[in-house]
Amino acid sequence: MNVDSRKRELVKEFSPMLLKSTKWSKIWIGILVGFVLWGLAAFVIQVVKGHEVTGMRDNVVWGIYIINFIFFVCLSYSGAFISGILHFFKTPWKNSISRIVEIITVVSLIIGPIFILLCIGRLDRLHYLFLYPRIQSPITWDIIAIITDLIGCFIYLYLTFIPDFAILRDNSEDVPEWRRKLYTFLAIGYRDTPTQRNRLHKITRIMSAMIIALAIVAYTVLAWIFSLTLQPGWNSTIFAPYFIVAGLYSGVGVIIIAMYLIRKYFKLDHYIRKVHFIGAGVILLVISLLFGYFTFSEYFSRWFSHKTHDADLLNTLFNKYFWEFIFANYIGVLVPIVILFFKRFRTIKSITFAAVIAVLGLWLNRYLIVVPTLETPYLPIQDTRPEFIHYSATWIEWALSFAGIAAFVLFFILIMRLVPIIPMSGIIDYEREGKGGTYSVTQYQLK
Amino acid sequence: MRISFFKYSLSIVLLSLFLASNIFAQEQDLSNYRMRFRFKSIKQPDGSRILEASFVATNKKDRKDRVPVYEADINFLNVLGEEKVPLGASKTSKEGIARITLPEDQYYLKDEEGRITLMALFKGTEELDGEEEEISIKDIHLDLGLIEKDSIKTVQVKAHTLDSLGVQIPVEETDIIISVEGMLSKMIIDEGTIEEGGYEFEMPIGLPGDVNGNITVYAIIEDHDDYGDVVQKNTESWGILNEQHKEDENTLWSEAAPIWMYVVLTILLVGIWANFVYTGIHLFKIKKEGEELELKTENE
Amino acid sequence: MGLLSGATTVAGATLLANLASEEELQASGEKIRVLTPDGKMVEVDAESINNYPEAHITPAESRKGIPDRKFVMVIDLAKCKNARNCVESCQKAHNLDYNEEFMKVQLIQDHEEAEPYWFPKPCYHCDEPPCVTVCPTGATFKRDDGIVLIDNDRCIGCKFCITSCPYSARQFNWSHKPKFDDTSQPYSPETSIPGTEGTVMKCDFCPDMLRQGKLPYCASSCPMGVIYFGDKNEDMVTNGEETVRFSELINDRGGYRHLEHLGTKPNVYYLPAVNRQFPLERGFDVEEDIIERYKDVPFVQDLKSQGKI
Repeated sequence: MNVDSRKRELVKEFSPMLLKSTKWSKIWIGILVGFVLWGLAAFVIQVVKGHEVTGMRDNVVWGIYIINFIFFVCLSYSGAFISGILHFFKTPWKNSISRIVEIITVVSLIIGPIFILLCIGRLDRLHYLFLYPRIQSPITWDIIAIITDLIGCFIYLYLTFIPDFAILRDNSEDVPEWRRKLYTFLAIGYRDTPTQRNRLHKITRIMSAMIIALAIVAYTVLAWIFSLTLQPGWNSTIFAPYFIVAGLYSGVGVIIIAMYLIRKYFKLDHYIRKVHFIGAGVILLVISLLFGYFTFSEYFSRWFSHKTHDADLLNTLFNKYFWEFIFANYIGVLVPIVILFFKRFRTIKSITFAAVIAVLGLWLNRYLIVVPTLETPYLPIQDTRPEFIHYSATWIEWALSFAGIAAFVLFFILIMRLVPIIPMSGIIDYEREGKGGTYSVTQYQLK
Repeated sequence: MRISFFKYSLSIVLLSLFLASNIFAQEQDLSNYRMRFRFKSIKQPDGSRILEASFVATNKKDRKDRVPVYEADINFLNVLGEEKVPLGASKTSKEGIARITLPEDQYYLKDEEGRITLMALFKGTEELDGEEEEISIKDIHLDLGLIEKDSIKTVQVKAHTLDSLGVQIPVEETDIIISVEGMLSKMIIDEGTIEEGGYEFEMPIGLPGDVNGNITVYAIIEDHDDYGDVVQKNTESWGILNEQHKEDENTLWSEAAPIWMYVVLTILLVGIWANFVYTGIHLFKIKKEGEELELKTENE
Repeated sequence: MGLLSGATTVAGATLLANLASEEELQASGEKIRVLTPDGKMVEVDAESINNYPEAHITPAESRKGIPDRKFVMVIDLAKCKNARNCVESCQKAHNLDYNEEFMKVQLIQDHEEAEPYWFPKPCYHCDEPPCVTVCPTGATFKRDDGIVLIDNDRCIGCKFCITSCPYSARQFNWSHKPKFDDTSQPYSPETSIPGTEGTVMKCDFCPDMLRQGKLPYCASSCPMGVIYFGDKNEDMVTNGEETVRFSELINDRGGYRHLEHLGTKPNVYYLPAVNRQFPLERGFDVEEDIIERYKDVPFVQDLKSQGKI
């Protein structure tokens, strides 16, 4: 098989995704930009009028911003984790989804920290974090972890992009000049020679291991922001592993949703196949069992020992937040388990549905970790102002949350326009190693 | 010139209007108030004497409603028969208190019993009646000894007056309060009565004193008919030093963190960044190899 | 005669003008009424806040603390009747709004059998303060004299300290308020004024008063002498009326610290509400709005159902 002609073939196959924009894609981008602008407007209002425009008050000082922050950052960490595992262990079916995972990792790691910035009262003093750092503070650890992780993820993502940039550079006869220049610059003279390939493989492998370690550390630090305080709902020794599992849960969920959408809109049925969904579904099943186990342990030990303040918290959860609790911790765990457990329920659509339920349930689970705890402090809240007793997010907060999601999707689309969502170099490698026999046969048959 | 005169007269007119309305509004208030004028003498540890007059209007119906008289001129005088010697003058503060301090060697007119008669005088204005208050006191000499009797720490108070011939007369039947000085207040440690010119008691044990272990003890005679207020103090290093609060260093809540935190963080960061740098170096090598290849193909 | 009265008027006028200008200068200060020798009642600034501008403590100086002191507060729950003077005088001194309270009076019921009691709650100025631990910029700090302060010039408003304080002692400035623009006195962490939008504030133990040898506002304003304050190093605390030995007070009266098991080591001690001096109901002689705060306490629900409040 001639590698060069195969490369050309692949570029031809993927170039419409990179270059052409359809009417629908324009509309979609327009809607997403609209959401982002709405969020920006909300942000301006918040800056001008102060945090008073949010639903946060003295007891619940952290609202859905911090929940979105944990959510996105966890998404990123789990993306890094999964991607690292895929690479490190050379998982057989990794190629079709590894890039999706990598992009999710980086994009959510850019979006996540923006939400923590929204929580900060004095953005103009952000540099004080570096001027007067105190390394005892978990926030300092978190900042170090996020920055380090972000750099690591960027490096890693770039490493996985290099071969594809090289392929695109070599086969860019009919693309605009700026694109070719960009590809040439980004490919840094990668010629796919055996030495170069071995070198790149080596560092990619090391970075993939690094990324796993980084993700675990960063995850743990994030969980510690909560679990190192004295708050009854937070001060828990299992929070760090619990957060890791919860992050993976949402991460796999979002990956499945992304796979579904990409497959559908870019008609990549022959690359992202049912086997991928089933594989991801089984992983989601395992993680949902783990997540359910952790959730149960967490609440069960509080319920069984029922120290006064734990009991107060459970009381809040089971009264004020009854339905949220049911959805987050029963439906959000049990429904995916049921769908994924039985083989005959495992269709692409049902697996995606389970993923959606899992992601929503997990977001709510986060809400229930943050808000009810803050509403149930050690000393009872004795106040007459309803907004100080009970937190409810305002439209500003929702607008910014949706803007975050929109920005996430938008970034995703933009990166997909730069490089193909299916790594071409991966396909080549796969075929070169000879294992790809059946793979290419299938594709040719499909064609 | 004209303008300034105009301005001046206008401001006077406006101010008098303002004043007039004020007077009108509050004249009736004043009739509800009883003026209280009080005068006392405090003999200080250093022998000086404070004369203090307090001038306050209190509401006849509501005792809590006290209005101090502010900026009233109070004259202090030493009186003997018809003779009046001015000692000084002062204005009342926002609390309604006027105060002067007389030195230890101040000369006073005394009667044959050795009594000094002092007077505080407010001359009065059109709206406020004049006030005067007289007290007659004997100059008392209070000694406060902090001594160890059979290794028991003892506070010893001695008090006498002098008659006109300079003979010491021991003080009798006078209540005295013993207290120790604190940062914010004095703590009473004993109350007793001076008999035959003296009073003593055992110092309570375990008081820490100040940072050097010094305890300052006060002996105070309060509002006595014959002596007024008298304060005497003495300091002795009787304190049992409290273990001084140690500065927290390298704790979670101090400025510098526990050492192990720096160590672990450094190890982690160095490890990770070494990796990043390593990756960077290899990327650079790939780039170099690519350039070499390009050169080769160009040469060929 | 006319000339004479004119002269008096002018003299009075200058005095009044002085008073007025003084009022303008210190618009934020506390006012007291005084009587002038002319028989007029006027309002002047009380001699309380920042009478010694030369004694201004800058944020950097305020980190050191008053040398060789270790401040403690003892709150005698048996004497509290929710008179709220502590709350109000503190609000006045720190220029706080109606609902901003550094000192809160809560109604606490320990268990079903116990009668609730009034529970004044300032910041506990813990010896191992979780709020200071988690601050990423050192905006809140523990001084050698035991006081925990906030430098709102340094605070970035991350609110982590608020979530980590188990006693809900901290509050956030959620929006800009005109009073923050008052620059009549320079900002000092020791006075906590003026406040700043987007930063945290809390009870500061009034170090500015302590430097003048005066009690914090809450302690000096309490009509019942509930709040004792002093230096643990000299083993003395005072409520303004009586001064007692701290160790004896704690030992004789069963002094305890709230939520001791959390290990924060507060510097505020409580004397249990035994042999109370006032029936609990006396504390309900406050505004309707304040009573409404305690509606979740079962005892208050009983009182309400009986129509007593």
